Amino acid sequence: MEASVDTSQIVKFAKLDELLALSRANSLWPLTFGLACCAIEMMAAGGPRFDISRFGAEVFRPSPRQADVMIVAGTVNKKIAPAVKTLYDQMLEPKWVIAMGNCAISGGPFVFPGQYAVVEGVDQLFPVDVYIPGCPPRPEALIEGILALEQKLTGKRRWPVVKPPQ
Amino acid sequence: MIASNDIPSRTNPQETFVLNLGPQHPATHGVLRIKMTMNGEYVTRAEPVIGYIHRMHEKMGENRTWAQFLPNTGRIDYLSALHYNHAFVGVVERALRLEVPRRAEYIRVITSELNRISSHLVWWSAFLLDLGGFTPLLYAFDDREKILDLLEGVTGSRLTYCYFRFGGLCNDIDDEFIKGTRAFVAQMRPRLKMYRELVTDNIILRKRLEGIGPISAEMCRKYGATGPVIRGSGVAYDVRRSEPYSVYPEFDFEIPVFPEGDSMARYLVRMEEMAQSLRIIEQALGKLPPGPVMGKVPRVLKLPPGDYCYAVEAARGRFLVRTVSDHKEIPYRVKLRTPSFSNLSLYEEASKGMMLPDALALLGSLDLVIPDIDR
Amino acid sequence: MIPSLEQLSDQFTRLIRLGAVTPNVEDSTAAAPGPTATPPPSPGPVQPVDYSLKGYHLDVTVSPGQVVLAAEILDQNGFGLDAITGVDWIAQNELEVVYDYFHPLSPLRVAVRARVPRGHPELPTLSGVFPGANWHERETHDFFGIRFLGHPDLTPFLLPEDADYHPLRKDFNA
Repeated sequence: MEASVDTSQIVKFAKLDELLALSRANSLWPLTFGLACCAIEMMAAGGPRFDISRFGAEVFRPSPRQADVMIVAGTVNKKIAPAVKTLYDQMLEPKWVIAMGNCAISGGPFVFPGQYAVVEGVDQLFPVDVYIPGCPPRPEALIEGILALEQKLTGKRRWPVVKPPQ
Repeated sequence: MIASNDIPSRTNPQETFVLNLGPQHPATHGVLRIKMTMNGEYVTRAEPVIGYIHRMHEKMGENRTWAQFLPNTGRIDYLSALHYNHAFVGVVERALRLEVPRRAEYIRVITSELNRISSHLVWWSAFLLDLGGFTPLLYAFDDREKILDLLEGVTGSRLTYCYFRFGGLCNDIDDEFIKGTRAFVAQMRPRLKMYRELVTDNIILRKRLEGIGPISAEMCRKYGATGPVIRGSGVAYDVRRSEPYSVYPEFDFEIPVFPEGDSMARYLVRMEEMAQSLRIIEQALGKLPPGPVMGKVPRVLKLPPGDYCYAVEAARGRFLVRTVSDHKEIPYRVKLRTPSFSNLSLYEEASKGMMLPDALALLGSLDLVIPDIDR
Repeated sequence: MIPSLEQLSDQFTRLIRLGAVTPNVEDSTAAAPGPTATPPPSPGPVQPVDYSLKGYHLDVTVSPGQVVLAAEILDQNGFGLDAITGVDWIAQNELEVVYDYFHPLSPLRVAVRARVPRGHPELPTLSGVFPGANWHERETHDFFGIRFLGHPDLTPFLLPEDADYHPLRKDFNA
């Protein structure tokens, strides 16, 4: 007996993928990894005014095994770079990285000729999905970054981009 | 498994293990690593390992002009950035004997005290998070957002301010700020009362903090610990009274001192400091003089050769800038003496023999900001 | 036991007179041609200083061997250690270490300074008198390579554990 039934006519994986992507996007669990000043803005984003729990992302997990997204908030040092890489390696697939703040994007204000301690951008260690510029970026910018990540996952944007009044 | 003969156990003949409170941990103090040698639940040796957020501020001081270094000062201790701004502009003003207009000094005091309150609110929420209470963070951050709105309207930033300039300020405050600050002071006092009733008098908090982590005044002096740490050990040392700067002598405020030396005393010092800051802000708003906010400053800043220091009472303690100049536009050396560095240095001795949760309560009561330690 | 400026000056002057090696303030500045303007030499090793200009009251220059005795004088008078600063005077081939002290009960501020040759920078440790000096000295060693004799643990502190460079030296190239 041969099983030559075309399974795509019986099971539509596309919708399941969409469903999985939607559920992952709506419940991104960040890793508590605030390094420096941007961490305070990340805490403020979790606070009552900006409230990322509206987007399902307020469950900060201390263990990388339980987290989906690593928000690198702050300067990555040469001394802590191996630890950051270890944390990234410990996260389970699917995983994403948001580089929050100028230091995580490119070393920020601490790059000068003769600098000896700062890793110029966390994307030298592992791939980054979303870059949020700012020093520090406002909590609204972090939320915009999470929405951009959701758009990367689902292909659709949850809220329309707000255009400032002319 | 680590074999017991690999671990030095001179102080304790029983078997010990090393617990690594790694650079990433949920007690949101930042990237501090503590190697705790434990005997069961008791800490025999807690060795802090720092340097994970070393951002070369002192080296940058030798690579930037005096004005270009100002944004760095906001990032050393980002929670009380205005105090650090103040120390650096102060050292240049002192060396060049620049006149700062009185209005600028008053605004410096008002904004610095608002910064002190917002810094203590963040400490309070993080400390209670460590002890297991999540809700106060939501209340404190709400109050803090009001302060940040006020300061953002004047300085342009929410967190890492760079508002002070040599000789004054970069811009003046407006009526909206004055009205908003008065409204904030009026609504903050009942909030502090609520925090006292809900949290400070809470039996669980008192059991967690009273008698925990005693630090004597002598230990504070030997390690150079300042700020609420030394004031919680009975010594009324505050840079605003000991080396008065700006216009602080014109205000009537108390220095809260508690003699017990335990974590509860340090906690109460900070809560009371918030109330005293509100007093200072009210007095300053009432006496705010009119006038310019920027004095006369030479176009090119070159300090006469020599070394100069300036100390302020930051939210965490005594912050000193010591600078050496060789009459160039770039400082020869900038030394930043930060309070968290000295406050943490006594942790190894103070935490001997404590149980792990109590050691973490002690750590939280020291109010550390790790980039302040590592600079 | 809040000391007065005169009492402290007396105690330091006596210490320096008793010291075997006199501080060579005059020699170092005379030998320096350097392009950078050096600070004017203090007229004597124990100098009261204008606080409103400098931020401290008393400036004491000692030889490297006397820093511990100077610290003991300040400890007995109730001072606390504020900061230990290293300065690289490359033009004069010397490293300077400045010890700042504050007093919890009085506004007095004292700075004690000592210079060591750049090729062989060694100073005795203060951690026996002020345990807080332990961390300050480790940091100064990190940045300048100054060895503090008798220090329990002079391994890298702010720099990575395997660091063998001293970044705040003027001839440091990353």
